[in-house]
Amino acid sequence: MAGKGVITPPRDRADLVERLKETQRRYGHVPEEAIAELAESLAIPVHEVYGVASFYSFLSLKPLGRNVIRVCKSLPCYLKSAEVIMKAVEKELGIVPGETTADGRFSFELINCIGLCDHAPAMLINHDAHVDLTPQKIKQILKSYE
Amino acid sequence: MEKKIKLTINGKEVSARPDMTILEVAKENGIDIPTLCYIPDLSPIGACRLCVVEVEGSRTLVGSCHTPVAEGMVIQTHSPKVIATRRVLVELMLASHPDACLVCDKANICELRRIAADLEVGLPRFRARKHYYPVEDEHPRMVRDMSKCVQCWRCVIACKGESGTPLFGTAYRGFDSKVIYGFDQPLGSQACDDCDACVEICPSGAIRKVRKAGEERANKALFIKG
Amino acid sequence: MPQPRVVLKNCDVIDPKRIDSYLENGGFKALAKARREMTPEQITGEIKDSGLRGRGGAGFPCGIKWEGARTASGDAKYVICNADEGEVGTFKDRYILEKDPFTLIEGILIAGHAIGAKQGYIYLRVEYHYLLDHLQNALNQVKQKGYLNGFSLEIREGAGAYICGEESALMDSIEGKRGEARYRPPFPTTSGLWGKPTIINNVETLMNIPPIIMNGADWFSQMGTERSKGTKVFSVSGDVDKPGVYEMVLGSPLRELVEELAMAKNIKLVQIGGATGRILPGDKLDTPLAFEAMLGAGAVTVYDQSRDVIDIIHRTMEFLVEESCGKCTPCRQGTEVMVEVLAKFHRSEGSLRELRNLEALSSAMMLSSLCGLGQAAPNAVMDSLQYFRDEYEKRVAK
Ligand SMILES: Cc1cc2nc3c(=O)[nH]c(=O)nc-3n(C[C@H](O)[C@H](O)[C@H](O)COP(=O)(O)O)c2cc1C
Ligand code: SF4
Ligand code: SF4
Ligand code: FES
Ligand code: FES
Repeated sequence: MAGKGVITPPRDRADLVERLKETQRRYGHVPEEAIAELAESLAIPVHEVYGVASFYSFLSLKPLGRNVIRVCKSLPCYLKSAEVIMKAVEKELGIVPGETTADGRFSFELINCIGLCDHAPAMLINHDAHVDLTPQKIKQILKSYE
Repeated sequence: MEKKIKLTINGKEVSARPDMTILEVAKENGIDIPTLCYIPDLSPIGACRLCVVEVEGSRTLVGSCHTPVAEGMVIQTHSPKVIATRRVLVELMLASHPDACLVCDKANICELRRIAADLEVGLPRFRARKHYYPVEDEHPRMVRDMSKCVQCWRCVIACKGESGTPLFGTAYRGFDSKVIYGFDQPLGSQACDDCDACVEICPSGAIRKVRKAGEERANKALFIKG
Repeated sequence: MPQPRVVLKNCDVIDPKRIDSYLENGGFKALAKARREMTPEQITGEIKDSGLRGRGGAGFPCGIKWEGARTASGDAKYVICNADEGEVGTFKDRYILEKDPFTLIEGILIAGHAIGAKQGYIYLRVEYHYLLDHLQNALNQVKQKGYLNGFSLEIREGAGAYICGEESALMDSIEGKRGEARYRPPFPTTSGLWGKPTIINNVETLMNIPPIIMNGADWFSQMGTERSKGTKVFSVSGDVDKPGVYEMVLGSPLRELVEELAMAKNIKLVQIGGATGRILPGDKLDTPLAFEAMLGAGAVTVYDQSRDVIDIIHRTMEFLVEESCGKCTPCRQGTEVMVEVLAKFHRSEGSLRELRNLEALSSAMMLSSLCGLGQAAPNAVMDSLQYFRDEYEKRVAK
């Protein structure tokens, strides 16, 4: 990460989660330097910021790929064969949940219900919703992410 | 003079100031409610749940350390339901606690063991994964072993730190929650001065003093049933 | 019986991208009526009389909540719309936000007027980020037309945590903190966001406000049962031919929803209210959908005869252990113990002793957990033990 001053300074404490998300968007994760910077500008201990960053599942302390695939694993999707979708992603990318492709293009995660159960199985790639998935669709969908 | 309210604890009518908590009123009346996360004079945390009591009309038990009394409240502090619940809570803490009491430096003064003994908890009925964290022993006066932490968060609120920066915070969530220092890093040799507040306040062996060879243990050994 | 549309009346009727389309369909008449013709006291009174109860899961009477915040003293007060919708199998708020954001905003503005708040927040789960621009667009149009009238309404987005749907954790999250539950009292109506009087309501609850103000409490309370007035929007998923969102009068039989509307067959069990909800076996489909029986936020997931109960309960508990905030002992430790025990039964390595212990554990979690997550976490376990105990016994290690 480039030096200090790259994160938009938070207006106040209530702005912290938003700034952490911005950091995540820009750098693919929340690096320690960003945590230190945010802590300093809010005049709070670094463990406070670290505590927030480690709490939310859309924030990551470890580097993620350029695109993050989150396949829903909750029951309504599971009933509609979400596991077949997971296998299809695994096969397509050669990685299992929790991993990132060597070229940094994709990270693959599993996620709890994303509120698309009427179109199960479902997944998010970054913030795009993909629904009524079939293994055939996966290849096509993944192609559209650089 | 401030107005007093009347309430009933364990069948006995007592009076109290309306700004008191159930725990404070119980204490004033000689009733001992076990607590773990509570530190007198600091704002309550409400995390351990050991202090729960029965309040008539309430669907659940209520935490006595943070619930203010109210006019006409009818409270049971040691009903079978309350005792059974407290036992489960202690068993849950022990369920993921390392079986290392025999070699624990704090065994003789461990509050967790005393509470377990008071509630006649022997071997816990529940088992859960244990946390394996490396022991942090760089600091000259204290050792932190987070595998033994019961997450009472006392150290989090007790430590004011030098220059007003508390040393510890909470991180992650759920079963993975952990009390951390900095970026979840080991407590360094320079981490703090030697106020010992956290050492004294930690109810388990998670934060303890470095014991010098030959130094006597603070208290007599404690015998535990079980 | 055709079901009336109260909450969903504008869905697929108006164009959710254009405020004019909403105005042509009677939009903002209720707000005008509330602001011009009614005092805050009259509004909270009307809501109380209507019998409207919260649609976010707990079913707390809406009018009583508002009354508490209205009469609370404070220089600043807040209205929060809970659009965190994290309960497994719930998607009706998503549907509403997509199809009719204007009624929601109107409801929030009426709430603000009723309790004397000048500021409000919509807390949107980050999983619905694709709705953010859409919602912001609706909000901008409302602003342009001058309906905010000095009220400031802001959309806040979560960052991925089911517990942030719990009201106290949600407020901590808006404050930029970890979403951990707070003990109560004090209740949000006297000490909520930044310690100020706050009301927090589910999306669907607020959708009911404009029609109640327009048509009156009596009109609303004619619908439903003794203690469950009005309609409810259900999210139906799982083993059904027609998953989706259905609005029904409260008190309607579960059978009508799952068999007639969603076209389920061969039902083994229905999970109502998601992971923290209840379980009903297939022979209890005549149970009314009402607060008197079980409701939650209206998630209805259907499982047919091919499904394994232990698998369902185990997965339900896996959700809860991942989503527990971790603050209090019974929930943080108890959900983990439960997952481990259920995993053993899943592998047919359970024991009767563990079943007994599970019951003691459930009771302690329900009684002592700090918030609704831990208190309700054992529901599915207990219900399945009541109705499907044999399936557990079959999985006891030989
Ligand atoms: C673990 C947990 C999760 C919750 N999630 C939501 C949610 O996603 N949306 C919601 O409206 N209410 C949720 N609630 C209920 C809220 O705490 C609160 O009761 C509700 O927002 C109040 O609004 P209402 O009275 O209009 O229902 C949740 C409660 C708990 C205990
Ligand atoms: S380290 Fe000790 S005082 Fe701190 S939370 Fe853990 S058990 Fe409590
Ligand atoms: S019940 Fe669970 S989610 Fe609620 S405060 Fe306790 S640990 Fe957190
Ligand atoms: S279960 Fe997958 S979206 Fe709800
Ligand atoms: S002592 Fe009251 S909750 Fe811990």
